[in-house]
Amino acid sequence: MNYKKDDLIDMLATGKVSRRTFQSYLASLGVAAVTFPMLPRSARAAAEDHPNIFTWEGWDAPQHHFEYHNKYGAYPNFSIFGDEEEAFAKIRAGAQFDVTHPCSYKVEIWRDAGILQPIDTSRLSHWDEIIPSLKEIPGMTGDNGDVWFVAADWGLTSVLYRPDLVDPKYQEEETWGILWDERYRGRLSMADSLIDGVMVAAIYGGAKDPFNMTPDEVEVTRELLRKQLPLLRYYWTSPTDLENSMAAGELVATSSWNDAFTALKAEGVNVKYMTPKEGAMTWVCGFCLMAAADPAKIDKSYDAIDAFLSPDSGVFSILEEGYGHANTHSYELVSAHLLEERGLSANPEEILSAGIFQEPIGNEPVLQEMFEEVKAGL
Amino acid sequence: MNAARTASGSGPRWRVRAWFMRSESGRGYALLSPTLVVVVLGLLFPMLILTTMSFWKQEYVDLVRTFTTENYAAFFDKRIYSLILYRSIRISALVTLVTIVLAYPLAYYIAFHVKKNKMMWIVLVTIPFWTSYLLRVFAWKVILGYNGVVNSGLISLGIISEPLEFLLYNPTAVVITLAHAWAAVAILPIYVSLEKIDRSLIEAARDLGESAFMTFVRVTLPLSLPGVIAASLLVFIPTVGDYVTPALVGGTRGIMMGNIIQSMFGKALNWPLGAALSIISMLTVTLAVCVLLGATRWYRKKVG
Repeated sequence: MNYKKDDLIDMLATGKVSRRTFQSYLASLGVAAVTFPMLPRSARAAAEDHPNIFTWEGWDAPQHHFEYHNKYGAYPNFSIFGDEEEAFAKIRAGAQFDVTHPCSYKVEIWRDAGILQPIDTSRLSHWDEIIPSLKEIPGMTGDNGDVWFVAADWGLTSVLYRPDLVDPKYQEEETWGILWDERYRGRLSMADSLIDGVMVAAIYGGAKDPFNMTPDEVEVTRELLRKQLPLLRYYWTSPTDLENSMAAGELVATSSWNDAFTALKAEGVNVKYMTPKEGAMTWVCGFCLMAAADPAKIDKSYDAIDAFLSPDSGVFSILEEGYGHANTHSYELVSAHLLEERGLSANPEEILSAGIFQEPIGNEPVLQEMFEEVKAGL
Repeated sequence: MNAARTASGSGPRWRVRAWFMRSESGRGYALLSPTLVVVVLGLLFPMLILTTMSFWKQEYVDLVRTFTTENYAAFFDKRIYSLILYRSIRISALVTLVTIVLAYPLAYYIAFHVKKNKMMWIVLVTIPFWTSYLLRVFAWKVILGYNGVVNSGLISLGIISEPLEFLLYNPTAVVITLAHAWAAVAILPIYVSLEKIDRSLIEAARDLGESAFMTFVRVTLPLSLPGVIAASLLVFIPTVGDYVTPALVGGTRGIMMGNIIQSMFGKALNWPLGAALSIISMLTVTLAVCVLLGATRWYRKKVG
């Protein structure tokens, strides 16, 4: 039965191929089509020796993982998420990772969902160099002493603004209130998130504990968000959009992380980063070991976390990315002048204790629904 | 070996197989089998899972697998969901209308006035489809943006001094972007139905004294309706559930049902409610399509 494939149809038409044979060809084609996507997986053996790290965009930079590369001659594998909710949804849907990089306020829910395993800190050579207060974040250590989270990087959420385009009084009195200033209708923006958006309104509204609001405080926050909606150009989800709009003057003020400030200053844009009188927010992100981590790669997973915690990786964070780093030694390697320019200091504890520390949000579903309703114009 | 073969050849299994191969529907299913496998695995199973999940409940991080109609009740209790669904349908209907109105003349031109190189025209129409959908949306961001093509063009012509801010981040931007992104999907079926029309019918209408316009209304348009309907469905159904475009160009006022469903499966972490909303959207779209089909049947009866 050596047919050339071009002849197959002709032969079928002239009756030289029985219908049954033709159907068996079709069946094998179907089987091939269904099984084809399974093939390429086994073809990537080399990369499979290294742990899979699920992290934020930018944190896969080689500068953070030199120590790992020195030891193994290769980098870990990286997958990128846009925010923790997306990451969580993917992990729950069955994606397998060894290490993830959430922020501290998400760790409790991840732990409760059973997707994490405790971390043996004695396997991290840089553990003792971590800023002490970052080891004491509530909820990161279980009652039985299990550690669920290793802090790695931290930063601020505050107001980024264009001093050349807004009332000079804001330079003297820095406040979140600029994001509610009617004069800048259509030229303001807020983060499209509970933690960096809705919490800003809560802080501005004077909630006692923004992360555990009373029903009355929730209503105050809702009113503020409603008032703000028509003033916003958009709720931002991508820092790149934000940076472009700020540089163009399309936006004059927005809530932002400090990386946008560092990036825009480096481009020569006239921007300032506030220390609002109501308080800036501080956040800490770090590493978690997944319950589904591959036991064969566990040593390398610890080494990958350890590499990120090294002082060199910290210097890169501080200088290039504009974020704080968990390793105390990294601040000794950067001059005081450069630290100050980035809103940091040789004593990071100072800045960390001055801000409002982001905590897990109580009654998250209620706030999420409230936020969606406000965005829908209700 | 031989004995075994004879045995199985006359056994009941062989008979079933023989019947299956001889019966017409059996052969039909055999020919369909690869597609059928894909449809069952890729469409039917997920639909079943979605339906089942919509009757479950989310409590913190756990799915409670007991039957409840709470999620459907939430749709009717809270104004937000029906409001957003209504808004999505309105935006999609507008997108469909704009797309058809823009696509029809182009399809008409290719079908009736292009004599040579028709194929080239068709290929030209599909060129925007060669790039990814996301890229086309971003292209509109570049065109409509604050420092975009339109604004910088108008500024350099001296028509405006400050960039126009109403171009981007509102429902109109969503309509413009979607209408362009789905244009080719509308042009092709309309072109095919116009191309199929028997030219002698049009000539007959003209010979019998109808004006060019009335010939179009009474002959060409009704005969091309199947293509218009197909195009409407192909544009309307997918755009109702779109969430990328509103998220990128919709701003604070342009969100649609897809964004709410996405947030239920992501940020809000309420998969059962997300599933219920998906099913309600699907049923609503089905209903809308039935209304559209009913209306066209009525129209054709009236005209014909």
